Amino acid sequence: MAQAVLSRLASAVAMLLVVATLVFAIQVVVPGDPAELLLSSAGSTPSRESIDALHAAMGLDHPLLQQYGDFLWGAVRFDFGASLIDSSSIGQTIAARLPRTLELIVVAMAIAILIAVPFATQSALRAGGRLDALGSSVSALFAAVPVFVVGTLLILLFAQTLKLTPAGGYADFGSQPLQHLSNMILPAVTVAMSVFPIIFRMTRSSVLDSLSNDWVRTAMAKGLPRRAVVRRHVLRNALGPVVTVIGLQLGILLGSTVLVEFVFNWPGLSGYLVTAVEQRDYPTVRAIILTVAALFIVINLVIELLQMKLDPRVQL
Amino acid sequence: MTSSIRIPSIHPRLRLPLLLVAVILIAPFAVPPLLHIDPNVMSVMQRFGRPSLAHPLGLDEFGRDRLARVLIGAQASLRVALVSALISCAIGSLAGLVGAYFRGLAGFLATKTADIVLCFPPILLSLLVVTLMGPGTTTLIWVLSIIYFPAFARIVYLEASRVSRLDFVVAAEALGARPNRIMFQTILPNIAGPIIVQFSLTAAAAIITESGLSYLGLGVVPPDPSWGQMIRGARAYMEQDPLGIIIPCAAISLAIWGVNLLTDRLRDVLDPKGLSGGIPLLSPRRQRQEDSTVAPVLEADTSLRIDKLEITAGKNGEVVKLIEDVSLRVRRGRCTALVGESGSGKSLTAASVMGLLPRGVTVTSGDILLRSADDASIEVSKLAGEELEAVRGRNAAMIFQEPMTALNPVYRVGDQLVEAAKAHRPVSTAAAREEAIEFLTRVGVNDPVRRFDSFPHTLSGGLRQRVMIAMALSAKPGLLLADEPTTALDVTVQAEIIDLLIALKAAPGAPGILFISHDLGVVAQLADEIAVMYSGRVVEQGPTAEVLGNARHPYTRALLQSMPAAHEELHASRSDTLPSIGGTPPLPHERPAGCSFRDRCPHALAVCAELRPELKSVNGPAHLAACHLTEGVAA
Repeated sequence: MAQAVLSRLASAVAMLLVVATLVFAIQVVVPGDPAELLLSSAGSTPSRESIDALHAAMGLDHPLLQQYGDFLWGAVRFDFGASLIDSSSIGQTIAARLPRTLELIVVAMAIAILIAVPFATQSALRAGGRLDALGSSVSALFAAVPVFVVGTLLILLFAQTLKLTPAGGYADFGSQPLQHLSNMILPAVTVAMSVFPIIFRMTRSSVLDSLSNDWVRTAMAKGLPRRAVVRRHVLRNALGPVVTVIGLQLGILLGSTVLVEFVFNWPGLSGYLVTAVEQRDYPTVRAIILTVAALFIVINLVIELLQMKLDPRVQL
Repeated sequence: MTSSIRIPSIHPRLRLPLLLVAVILIAPFAVPPLLHIDPNVMSVMQRFGRPSLAHPLGLDEFGRDRLARVLIGAQASLRVALVSALISCAIGSLAGLVGAYFRGLAGFLATKTADIVLCFPPILLSLLVVTLMGPGTTTLIWVLSIIYFPAFARIVYLEASRVSRLDFVVAAEALGARPNRIMFQTILPNIAGPIIVQFSLTAAAAIITESGLSYLGLGVVPPDPSWGQMIRGARAYMEQDPLGIIIPCAAISLAIWGVNLLTDRLRDVLDPKGLSGGIPLLSPRRQRQEDSTVAPVLEADTSLRIDKLEITAGKNGEVVKLIEDVSLRVRRGRCTALVGESGSGKSLTAASVMGLLPRGVTVTSGDILLRSADDASIEVSKLAGEELEAVRGRNAAMIFQEPMTALNPVYRVGDQLVEAAKAHRPVSTAAAREEAIEFLTRVGVNDPVRRFDSFPHTLSGGLRQRVMIAMALSAKPGLLLADEPTTALDVTVQAEIIDLLIALKAAPGAPGILFISHDLGVVAQLADEIAVMYSGRVVEQGPTAEVLGNARHPYTRALLQSMPAAHEELHASRSDTLPSIGGTPPLPHERPAGCSFRDRCPHALAVCAELRPELKSVNGPAHLAACHLTEGVAA
């Protein structure tokens, strides 16, 4: 057990290193000088001196290996240097904005799980029935509408037409808790709707698989009440694939909230990223992507360890 | 497409989504030339013009025709999505194939590259590339190809690894075919299904991602319209002009919905097991039958009595009788064996005693009477829901054929035993544990304390079957149903389990046993009475010695004759068909008039085709057989 955990940890760290190297290498491999790109986005042709000055500021005048070493060492200390745009500390900005993105994701995921898992379980128990047909249609509908379309349409309906919620923005939870929550409803629901079909489908098919297991028949033959059979011998065994897909979605959400944050003006990590991309602030983009990829790897690690806990037969 | 490929007829379930996808693919390219409208011509005077004959969807914020723009926007979106899906499919499939076929380093590289790319959330990865390459259509295609190739690589790798171990691939290798020939002509066609499904999934995902990036202003560059960009543009005028935002939203959603529908249907068609048919258990509550007659009472020495049982399956309004006119009895502390081939209805009869019939299958007439703990008679066939749950495990317990899968792998053996005890009695966990360990000892489990805390997968098949027996006995049921409990076990273990059941029968307060088997050798050791079932009916029944020693029905004789030779074969194949008799029993809906065994019967008479023989006593009142020949002999 301990050995399995250690080997998973080691492989996660190795993966992190590869990802960091890749993020660093892309800049080297891709044609074009980042300093020149940054300066020419203003419209005019930059002068040699200003390019050289920026090179020095970005550390691009050092040998490649030293740049790489500096980058890795900085990443370990969560120090990614200063933004090229306003010289603010990238690490600090990430630390301030990341929790807002995580909050959105966690709330949205909770909403999606609380609705999708029971709904899908009941659908599977009544496979082919009306509830099942409803669930499948709803998830097909949600799957067909891209997340920014959902967001935009929700704003159109609830903020513009019904005037029930704000169209976007953010308020600090500490000083304005109610405003904070009302700002969060629409973006959280939007994200929840985008993951609903995935969780619904996985839960449904997993419960269906689980239902046909012999031990479910054993549990019924013991005389366990129907609810106990469903909870302990159907749902519990169906959980593995569902947990995996939830973990995977958590990771993907770290990226796709970009769109939702943009739609709702939610000042999370992603808004920062879009601005950085637009302004070609490569150090910032690099830092954000590395942070998110690291989170992604950590989530995957947690999922794998959870999987071991869930099913004693799984030996990693 | 070469002409040598025969175009297969289109599966009915695929027709609608294929038509939809064809419209989505063709309309954006075919319709705009017919409209004679330039999507980029502005007429600011007419901005937000309402829908009219000339402009069916109205005009946008710059007075441009919306229909033309949404169609041209589709061109951009579809081109990007399809080209990138094709590229990622080609690269990913090649990587997966090479990795799976050559394994070793190639396999490692193919899977690890995919893993690394999968570490980046897709949108983030695209933003990274866009930062470096600048927005534009070419960038987008590259971005999407990079994002989506790992999924292809993974799926193709897994599928190809599976296929490359199959016989025909090994045979092709043995014949000296070259690797590229094997990969592309032998393996690839066999994994085309999953690749097609993945392609369609990817196309839908690419449409979503493309529109998202364009919406952020990082995808297709203005003034080329694309759906994402149209939504981005219309957002500013949302209040004045909701239609401007709804039209492209609807277009994207329709396109994705169409492709998703195609994907789902493709999956169903290519992998039919995904289509859920009848889910056997957790059937809905049975309708209560109103009993007009006086409740029948069980004789003092009887654990189970089945009277004239009839079980039917209703499918698409068609009613098929599965079990007809079955009557049998299990006495306290005795064993009645139910013998027959698979499909004879013996397992179904047992399931009906537990109220565990599959969905759509019901007891339509007859009585099933069980003895309750306080010696009253329970009419199982009239119970439903919670009343039935109270009977299961408490008054009648059951053990099954497959001990390997009968226990839930995620719980310890002990937890499952305690759960069974607690289902019927208010007992503390500690007391239930004590009891369970005692039962484990009684059924011959060595080191029961350690086994109590083991997970099922660490136990052998024989041990698991002992655990199942201990679990079944834990509520001291009046009846034990054993559905081929030894079939899946090794011969030596089989003998041990039979010995255990024999010992169990001899113990004081022993339950009656209904033992289901096709194995007359086992039945001869264990059973006091035998009922031979064929095609949903009992064809011969009586005391074991009578039935085995003086069999009157040709089917029973055939079973007996095939016994010694068939014995080994049966266990080798783990099926309970009887090849030595020749032929197979008729399916329930194909049962002929007259005697249903007549087609396989060496002694069939003309009367056998017309008249169904009734069960009549032969050689004394306890021995019954349903055969015209016995009457002829008797007369």
